[in-house]
Amino acid sequence: MASLIEVNDLSKRYKVNSGWWKKEYKTVLKPLSFKLESKQTMAVVGGIGSGKSVLAKLLVGAARPTTGEIILNGQHLQTGNFKQRCQHVRMIFQDAGNTLNPSLTIKQQLEEPLLLNTRLNPQQRTLLIRQTLQKVGMLADHMHFYPHMFSGGQKQRISLARAIILEPQLVILDEALAALDLSLRAQMINLLLDLQQQMGLAYLLISHDLDIVEHFSDKMIVLRDGEVVETGTTEQVLKDPKDKYTKKLIMSQRKRPAI
Amino acid sequence: MNLLDVKNLSITLQSTAEPILAVDRVSLSIKEGEFRGLVGESGSGKSLLAKAIMGVLDDKWKVEADRFHWQGIDLLRLTEEERKKIITRDVAIIFQEPMSCLDPTNTIGEQIEEAIDSKQLSGYFWQKAQQRRKAAIKLLHKVGIKKHTLVAKSYPHQLTTTLCQRVMIAMALARRPKLLIADEPTASMEPANQAQIFRLLASLNQLKSMSVLLISHELDKISHWTDNLTVMYSGQFVEAGTTAQIFKTPFHPYTKALIASTPTPQKQWQKKARLETLPGTIPVLQHLPIGCRLGPRCPNARKKCVTAPQIRSYHGHQVSCHFSHKDEY
Repeated sequence: MASLIEVNDLSKRYKVNSGWWKKEYKTVLKPLSFKLESKQTMAVVGGIGSGKSVLAKLLVGAARPTTGEIILNGQHLQTGNFKQRCQHVRMIFQDAGNTLNPSLTIKQQLEEPLLLNTRLNPQQRTLLIRQTLQKVGMLADHMHFYPHMFSGGQKQRISLARAIILEPQLVILDEALAALDLSLRAQMINLLLDLQQQMGLAYLLISHDLDIVEHFSDKMIVLRDGEVVETGTTEQVLKDPKDKYTKKLIMSQRKRPAI
Repeated sequence: MNLLDVKNLSITLQSTAEPILAVDRVSLSIKEGEFRGLVGESGSGKSLLAKAIMGVLDDKWKVEADRFHWQGIDLLRLTEEERKKIITRDVAIIFQEPMSCLDPTNTIGEQIEEAIDSKQLSGYFWQKAQQRRKAAIKLLHKVGIKKHTLVAKSYPHQLTTTLCQRVMIAMALARRPKLLIADEPTASMEPANQAQIFRLLASLNQLKSMSVLLISHELDKISHWTDNLTVMYSGQFVEAGTTAQIFKTPFHPYTKALIASTPTPQKQWQKKARLETLPGTIPVLQHLPIGCRLGPRCPNARKKCVTAPQIRSYHGHQVSCHFSHKDEY
């Protein structure tokens, strides 16, 4: 079976203060390849400036890759073609409160991707918004509310609803769980796992909490300065880290030993 | 002897038509040389409690307590000025987002020198500037900054968040406090840097026998470093005890759910299994439930829970619940 998403030699470099004739480049992501099936989660771990957010941007289409290709369902994703891409690849950010427009109701926010990407009539759109809100564990009547009326966890649910309303295949979680309180984070993980089973979603989880990575993901990539340091299944990497940097990451998050 | 001994501290917000009880009868005691963690979700009144200890809340907030002792001195009976004198001498606080706490228009060196008390300096007035500079460098060394000339010359925006937090700690140490309150010192930091700051706090705690009150919303991250833990929920006291007691035998259903909801490598988890959680979210301050505020989310809640439970202590393990899990262990 062909993979849901296949990434070959994806890399990114930026031009920095070049002179008139001299050209200098800064490579932020060295060529990287991976495959991901549906209902699978891949975690990307690394420090600041390791290129994990660049990888997310490349996948979602916010930046143009220097080399490499992204193949989704056997189809080549073109860089400028947002219509094709945003139906299949969606993204959730860390700070849910800031990604929602404070002057629009939840219904207006959720309607926007539908208006731009589908040809549903108003009744169908409202129905879909109702269903999606219920899917993420909120009430359908919440669609008439404004973002400031919700708590942080509920806002994160709304941004998840906005991500899944187009029934995508890949959802990118860019530190989406980091800012939540412990009990809300557990609720959110449960919700994400349920949705993965129901809708067959694939997740790309960018995180630095290795406990969550261990629980949540099937595969993982460790990045350092744009370079893949280690890759493999999550158990394998965490149980038996080969690279020094991975070991350091695991050591830095050691918790109190078993009591 | 207890350094700080607070019993039944309540903080009320009075600006609105109806006074809001933001912190409801919380008790906290800190011994000398203790490393205590204060854990609670956002909006549970942890920072308010820290501010109340420092005495920096303005007139809108009313602080009441049955007992509020600092080294045996009843702080509530003192005038504000006497109280401030004691607190500024013995207690220091550091906040989250160190970048925004430092003055962006002054260099780090100037700011640290400003924090040094001139009473500590001996010598004639013409020697004082030199001594002050030396003391500042010493403080920077104490918090593990080796390139003191470079750091002292730079402005806050030129340093990383971790370095800024170290500088904040250095400034807090300038008066040799007996208690350091760290209010989420590692928010929005990378795990490796978080560990650095925690290690620094732990070493200061052990070498200088300075008590530390570490406030955080992540129970699992600070548990490696703390001796004792106090857990709060929505402004109410939940549970306090040694870290081992809290983790091994959590008495309160809230603590139990918190510990169960975090995946840890020690427990054998089935991969992608559902995590145990409490339903719902933390209540907003305008609509607080009566009695035990966990009531609507609590699995053990019964009719009795509409009256707030009293704190009960079992071998130093304090819990505030009518139906605690004490007998299950």
